[in-house]
Amino acid sequence: MEYSSLLFIYGFFPVSLALYHITPKKLKDVSLLILSMIFCAFFGVRYLVCIAAYVLFNYTAARLTDKLRKRGAVVCFIPFALCMMFDIFALFAFRTERFPVMYRALRLHEGFFPVGISLFTLSALGYLIDVYNGRIRSEKSLVRYSLYIMMFPRLLMGPVVRYDTFTRIMDSRRSGIDELGKGLTVFIKGLAKKVLAADTLYALYIAVDSYDTRELSAVTAWLGITAYVLCLYFTLSGVADMGVGIGYCFGFRFPQSFNYPMFSSRIRYFAAKWHVQVIHWFRSYITKPFTSSVNSRYIGKLIFIGAWALAGCWYSFTVSGALWGALMGTAIVIEGKLRKSRMLKATGIIYTYLLVTVFAVFLASGTVGSGFGYLLAMIGGNRSLTDDLTLYLLRSYLVVLLVTMYASTDLFRNMLLRSRRLLLRKVFMAATPAVMVLLLAICTALISSSGSSEMLLLRL
Amino acid sequence: MKNITSKLTAAAVIAFTVFFGAASLVPNGKAVIPAPTWDNIADGGFGSGLSSCAAQHFAFSESWRSAGSRLDSVISGSIVNGVYIADDRLIAADIADRGDTAESAAIVNSFAESYDGAVYFAAVPTSAGVYGDILPSHLSRVTEKQQIDRLYEQLGGDIRRVDAYNLMRMMSDERIYLRSDSKWTMYGAYCLYRTVIQKLGIQPLSYDKYTIRHVTNEYRGDLYERTLYMKCEPDILDIYEYPDGVQVTECVSVGNDGTERECSLYDPSALDSDDMFGLYLGKRGPLVRIRTDVNNERRLLVIGSECAASFVPFLTQHYSEIAVVFPEYMDRPLDTFIDKNDYEQTLFLFGIDAVTADALKNTETR
Repeated sequence: MEYSSLLFIYGFFPVSLALYHITPKKLKDVSLLILSMIFCAFFGVRYLVCIAAYVLFNYTAARLTDKLRKRGAVVCFIPFALCMMFDIFALFAFRTERFPVMYRALRLHEGFFPVGISLFTLSALGYLIDVYNGRIRSEKSLVRYSLYIMMFPRLLMGPVVRYDTFTRIMDSRRSGIDELGKGLTVFIKGLAKKVLAADTLYALYIAVDSYDTRELSAVTAWLGITAYVLCLYFTLSGVADMGVGIGYCFGFRFPQSFNYPMFSSRIRYFAAKWHVQVIHWFRSYITKPFTSSVNSRYIGKLIFIGAWALAGCWYSFTVSGALWGALMGTAIVIEGKLRKSRMLKATGIIYTYLLVTVFAVFLASGTVGSGFGYLLAMIGGNRSLTDDLTLYLLRSYLVVLLVTMYASTDLFRNMLLRSRRLLLRKVFMAATPAVMVLLLAICTALISSSGSSEMLLLRL
Repeated sequence: MKNITSKLTAAAVIAFTVFFGAASLVPNGKAVIPAPTWDNIADGGFGSGLSSCAAQHFAFSESWRSAGSRLDSVISGSIVNGVYIADDRLIAADIADRGDTAESAAIVNSFAESYDGAVYFAAVPTSAGVYGDILPSHLSRVTEKQQIDRLYEQLGGDIRRVDAYNLMRMMSDERIYLRSDSKWTMYGAYCLYRTVIQKLGIQPLSYDKYTIRHVTNEYRGDLYERTLYMKCEPDILDIYEYPDGVQVTECVSVGNDGTERECSLYDPSALDSDDMFGLYLGKRGPLVRIRTDVNNERRLLVIGSECAASFVPFLTQHYSEIAVVFPEYMDRPLDTFIDKNDYEQTLFLFGIDAVTADALKNTETR
């Protein structure tokens, strides 16, 4: 069950919200866990069993690590290392689907995928490392830890927050119709991003992707990859926003994962605003620990690039995905050297857009070779600048592209924030309820024939 | 102000959600709740079944879908749910390469080998094949022409092919395909009939001999069902009659259980049902046996898909007996229904979209 499905929006979500709010305070966590288990069961009981086993194993390993560490025993490394290996293996095995033996042993059908495994693995690993390092104590409550891994508003797209942040959010939950209103606004905004923007851009991307790259004209190739980047942004941020919005409705103020990264004026600004918690996770658990143990600045930079390559690998589990990450990391490093360059100031948004788009070719391509083939098409290597397809795509999607480009920036938000005319803000505030209902109605109409909007560029 | 906005948003969205959520609980007779089994509960099939069921059961689902189509066509150009919305018609835009036709061709070849008479094959393009030029180029690269050519290359040398594709392309300015469906009109069927019947060695009847009746102007076909695009005009369904010609003396539909029931070339009662195309030959079954008062002892076996139903009325003028077989509806092999060697000629008449090994497998000899 996706967040962007009729069954969820008009069934599971309102019912679970009502049940949660009528549950006595003491039992709220338990009720949320039961609701999350029901949510998981919609993906199949096998999935529920897998994630429950995963939670139990991680919980036990963290408890053991903590207990042994307190005694000062070196053996605390054993449960820690075993659990780390188990989590990384599970992530690798399910993302790459290269272990049919494991599927057969667990009696999982072909194509089985534990939804959200990439996200909850990061959470579980981060928690385990923090416990091992003594940064936090292990959680005694199995219910609370289970919620950390499988709580349904966080399950599909995070946010991947540290365990202490999570408990702080859980302990400072708020309730009231205000929170509900804010949550529903964020949820509908995310739904619109996914259904209105991402699904439409996906059609454009697929139209281009269905061609052999050797047949593509340069402008068509640029259109295709621009659609891919925007679609990826709207898909990830849309689903993440929906999750955060649901969290708000339950009283949890989870941070948002994307902060208008598109059309930033620097690559590092882009990196700082893109999938914030995931990138932060790689910085906290890969870059920082390794760079702090080396003295050489150059090795430090290499570790930084390596962590980005790992993040790229996390997105796609391909060599080309790792290459995307490595290129991003390298660009940030080089940009750091050229920070004061006037050229950079003058061309900020354009060069960031160009680099982000060009790098994204490798994230979109299955292989490095096909990525270079696509790049060749983008620079006119197929000896064609435009063709009939370009004109057709421009005619059909130019308005969509321009509108989504604008929507991906923070221009509108800034206009409201900086607006000195109180009237403009008041009009916007007054119109918000009607706009939200209208957006919900539009999204409902668009998903009404299939029942949900399931298209995802990446399975995380 | 912010708080008031949040409260109003919460109230409005909750009211909207609860209203449509509750209204969807009212049974509408369309949705089928999937039966829970251990397998589908374990692998998530039950959950996705419930999600589909929720879409069918959703309050005012038809209006929502219709609105969704309009929005889709405004937002993303002209393709809605895999259907291209052209100025005057709907065209299936999800023509994928339907895979290898070799298996289908092998089945037809094996039929021909064990058959004493002459075998003819007419692979009929759908409207997407004929009007493919209208489709954006990236959607029409795997053309039905290529699929038909490939199939014809794979058929054995003793099977006579009918070039339906070029014929229909030539006639594409005429009303040969329905606007809201991928199927042909009765006029489209007549155009092909003239060519086919000559191949079968008979002179066709001229068009002016027929009395044409428009029996409904409210037909909305499969492409409309996928888009609910109201701006596409409903289609007219015709019936062609030749009062002074040969009359049908017996028309029997044979079920899979062997039961026989009377039917007719045209069944107007189908116009009141969900399947209006059942107007032609009535409710589909595996076999329809037609006898006429023509006294020439010619017997024809027609093995076909849906498009054959509106084609057969033209053939009745020339044969004393016609057996029309729809293998898609058969649950056992053809020779348990009829002895194919009782018929001197066999015509395979399939829409190219229906040429699959699955559809043809029951025509294989046991």
